[in-house]
Amino acid sequence: MFEIDRRLLQNFDWTVLLLVITIVGVGIINLASATHIDDELTGEVRRQLVSVGIGGAAMLFVLAIDYRHYERFATPALLVCIALLVATLVFAPVTRGSQSWLFGGRLQPSELAKLGLVVALARYFHRNPPSEIRRLRDLARPGLIAVIPVGLIVMQRDMGVALLTLLIASTYLAFTRIPWRAWVGVSFVGIAVLISLWMFVLQPYQQRRILDVIDPGRDPLSSGYQAIQSRIAIGSGGLLGTGYRAGTQTQLRFLPTQHTDFAFSVLAEEWGFVGSCVVLSLYLVLLLWGLRVARNSKDGFGAMLAVGLVGTIFWPLALNIGMVLGIAPVIGVPLPLFSYGGSALVTSLVGLGLLMNVSMRRYVF
Amino acid sequence: MPVEEAGVGRLATGVDPSIVSRLVFIAAFIVLIFAIFGVRLFQLQVIQGEDLGNRARRNSVRTVHLEAPRGDIVDRFGRELATTRPAFGVTIMPAELREREKTFAALANLLDLDAGELAERVGFPKGRRRFQSVRIAKDLPYDSRTRVESHLYALPGVFTDVSPRRYYVGGSLAAHVLGYTGEIQVAQLQKRSFADYRSGDIVGQSGVEKRFESVLRGRAGGRNVVVDVAGRVDEVLDEVEATPGGTLVLTIDRDLQRVAEEAFLPDVIGGEEKRGAVVVLDPRNGDILALVSHPAFDPNSFAGGIDTATWKLLTESEGRPIQNRALAGQYPPGSTYKVFVAAAGLEEGAIHPDDRVFCPGSFKLGRRTYRCWKRGGHGSVNLHEALARSCDVYFYQLGLKLGIDRMAFFSNGFYLGRRTGIALGNESAGLIPTRAWKERHVGEVWLKGETVSASIGQGFNLTTPMQLAVAYAAIANGGTILRPRILLRQTGPDGVVEQGPGREALGKVPVSPENLAIITRALEAVVNEAGGTGARARIPGIRVAGKTGTAQVVHVKETDGLEDEEIPFKYRDHGWFAAFAPVEAPEIVVIALAEHGGHGGSAAGPIVNAVLSRYFKSSMPEAPPKSYEPPEPLESPAMPEPTESPEEAAQVVRN
Repeated sequence: MFEIDRRLLQNFDWTVLLLVITIVGVGIINLASATHIDDELTGEVRRQLVSVGIGGAAMLFVLAIDYRHYERFATPALLVCIALLVATLVFAPVTRGSQSWLFGGRLQPSELAKLGLVVALARYFHRNPPSEIRRLRDLARPGLIAVIPVGLIVMQRDMGVALLTLLIASTYLAFTRIPWRAWVGVSFVGIAVLISLWMFVLQPYQQRRILDVIDPGRDPLSSGYQAIQSRIAIGSGGLLGTGYRAGTQTQLRFLPTQHTDFAFSVLAEEWGFVGSCVVLSLYLVLLLWGLRVARNSKDGFGAMLAVGLVGTIFWPLALNIGMVLGIAPVIGVPLPLFSYGGSALVTSLVGLGLLMNVSMRRYVF
Repeated sequence: MPVEEAGVGRLATGVDPSIVSRLVFIAAFIVLIFAIFGVRLFQLQVIQGEDLGNRARRNSVRTVHLEAPRGDIVDRFGRELATTRPAFGVTIMPAELREREKTFAALANLLDLDAGELAERVGFPKGRRRFQSVRIAKDLPYDSRTRVESHLYALPGVFTDVSPRRYYVGGSLAAHVLGYTGEIQVAQLQKRSFADYRSGDIVGQSGVEKRFESVLRGRAGGRNVVVDVAGRVDEVLDEVEATPGGTLVLTIDRDLQRVAEEAFLPDVIGGEEKRGAVVVLDPRNGDILALVSHPAFDPNSFAGGIDTATWKLLTESEGRPIQNRALAGQYPPGSTYKVFVAAAGLEEGAIHPDDRVFCPGSFKLGRRTYRCWKRGGHGSVNLHEALARSCDVYFYQLGLKLGIDRMAFFSNGFYLGRRTGIALGNESAGLIPTRAWKERHVGEVWLKGETVSASIGQGFNLTTPMQLAVAYAAIANGGTILRPRILLRQTGPDGVVEQGPGREALGKVPVSPENLAIITRALEAVVNEAGGTGARARIPGIRVAGKTGTAQVVHVKETDGLEDEEIPFKYRDHGWFAAFAPVEAPEIVVIALAEHGGHGGSAAGPIVNAVLSRYFKSSMPEAPPKSYEPPEPLESPAMPEPTESPEEAAQVVRN
């Protein structure tokens, strides 16, 4: 035992840990500015620190057990996630038009479901190598694994997370060998589905948010308001930023969700182009490092797991930064590791714990 | 697949080379997305940022909410009932106050307020609250407004704004039709139907304002402006105009509505101010021409929030002005009900129009005596005379012949005891009792004596004025039950006109047109023949049909022997009058109810007369709309939750 532990320690992935600590740390410093009232720590900062503690502990816990054991628990874990999603639909109260929190707002099962789905899909693609998927119909079974949780999240009316989960699952499509002609067909079906979603499922306010990306000037008050304010905040940051706690836009609270979805605009205003680029670079290194972990992994399950985990960080990041920069719709997707929010932070940390797990066991046999 | 065995270190990698090539592809995709982000950040922060950044350091960007003016509500001829006027307000932003004491003193002087109270209201907020403006006035009169505006340059931190405010042109005119507006309540904000509302938004809380909220609301706009240190607007960055709400054209006739309301005031009827309700309906299509519930309230007093004392007065005082008596008030129909008993009798063959009954002034059933309202008796009467003179004894006997369940069947056929489904909400269903109903709800068997009471519209029977209007409209139009309608058409802000709901027949009454004609002839006699009880509704040159009703509130014994004026107000009978005209081709139905008004003919008859006279008088040129005068500013902290509980304590009596 101890010998193995020593080898594990030697192979420990310090890069990921250091990147994670830096990003989370900058996030908390930024949160302190975004919620700054007096010179005391705000409740949000305190709660976020608690979440970091819980997340860190959970991260160490998932690290300790060889990731190959998780393969066996993939299916039951996914079933638990699905059960939690169903429980949410049954028991959770509707808040702000969606219904996604359990235990008095302490747990958001859809966050957990993203991880459960990644583990389940990694197991599936490990056993059925994606390079052998050549026809669309081969996607039916993995598709089913993804569609059940996504469907349940759609029923919670949490469209942002549903879209996100679907995108994360779609990461695996990159490995399939389906000819491009089939994708043309799929896109037609996809467009038809999107149109019917638009017409029958999306609420008017959700339609408006999508229209606001195309033309943010449409309604500077309700949904376009956030996009415009975000852009003004980022713009007023300039090259070097206004300085910590000195952002006019931030300190005047022009951004309604500046500590959650728009946390990055606060950073961009106060630290400028240079600061934003540094933080984005940290994420970029983390993601590419994750892909390196996939390449160096010693088995298919580890590789597939690592790719899926990269997806769970990349897709919300792409949607969030795109929204903040005004090139994607305003859907409430927080920036992973950075935005205020306990459930999301804990799941991100657990996910990265899994990634480090794969990384440090690459030589062990 | 077994776990990869053996191999040493990197060489033993279990990852398929084809997967490695795709990993490179994913990496390239991620790098591309980050490159796009980098370019976009550069564009926002470095290229445009120079400009925006400088601006943000010296000035600040503010978003000004441009409230959408609520859509107008007009009557069927396009005359304004509710519109929007500008309201002038004043706010203070604590962070931008320069000389605190001086500013408060000056402002107090300008606005006629107490400087100390003003300072207290603003307080010394810290941190982010310094940037939250404190509202000092919501709706200033014109002269205060000009005074403040001319001194604004010397008052940094003081801001003025103009917002649209609901204005009900006629004050309390048609208040129960229009309803009122108020700030959205916390409970409403939680609901999905209010997902795109923000706290502080104005929303229709009752009547047409509530029912057609989505049409009237419009869409708020906004303006992003750059302001300098003194709060002056430097530059408008962008602006989206507010889209005003659509216009509603109601079926109401404003003149008729006003006449019907004024009929409750002392100078028209004489004596004291009445309480009650009027419904005026077009029996050809169900259009509501007027709907009155008196006493009423002035919805203007809700527009800027209402203080608790006023709210209490409206909801809890004895007259309960907030209640819509025409829809929610339930009263025994009294003799207006005899019409439906007569229709049942004719249709069932229980009586022939020529059959005569002798009325000695009372009727004995077992050991109990039931009196006719005319103590001396009516002598020998047939159906026509019994209706015209409202002989109780005739209907006691007819009711016993029919039995309670047959009477209920025909009453239900006239839509009594059922909601008419008018688009105003808060409607009561009334009550038409049956044997089964009593066993279920009272737990006792039906008594014969109760049938006697029911046959003259007393006992358990309860109707709303609106139900009687729909039922009498069916008599007038040859037997069709029409759903009463309030919306003629609506015009969107884009000018697109959308017609309101069409004529909607809810059913046919189970009575033949011949029998309806017999009843109509009797109703004409009520008004026009000697001995008829409804002579007060007579209009020269117009054939008016009608029926009086007097609903007893308490047992007869308690008021026996007293003259009308000696009976305490709350024990006095409710007076009904139901009428339609002209008999040859009816185009108007009027139902009037005078609560505790005494006898129907004398209490409610003059109201009907006033409405019919106005209707048949060739339309006069319209008086110009009342010129606008801003009301006193209402400075109230919050509007109490309106607890809409207009359940009328129905005074049920048993003879």
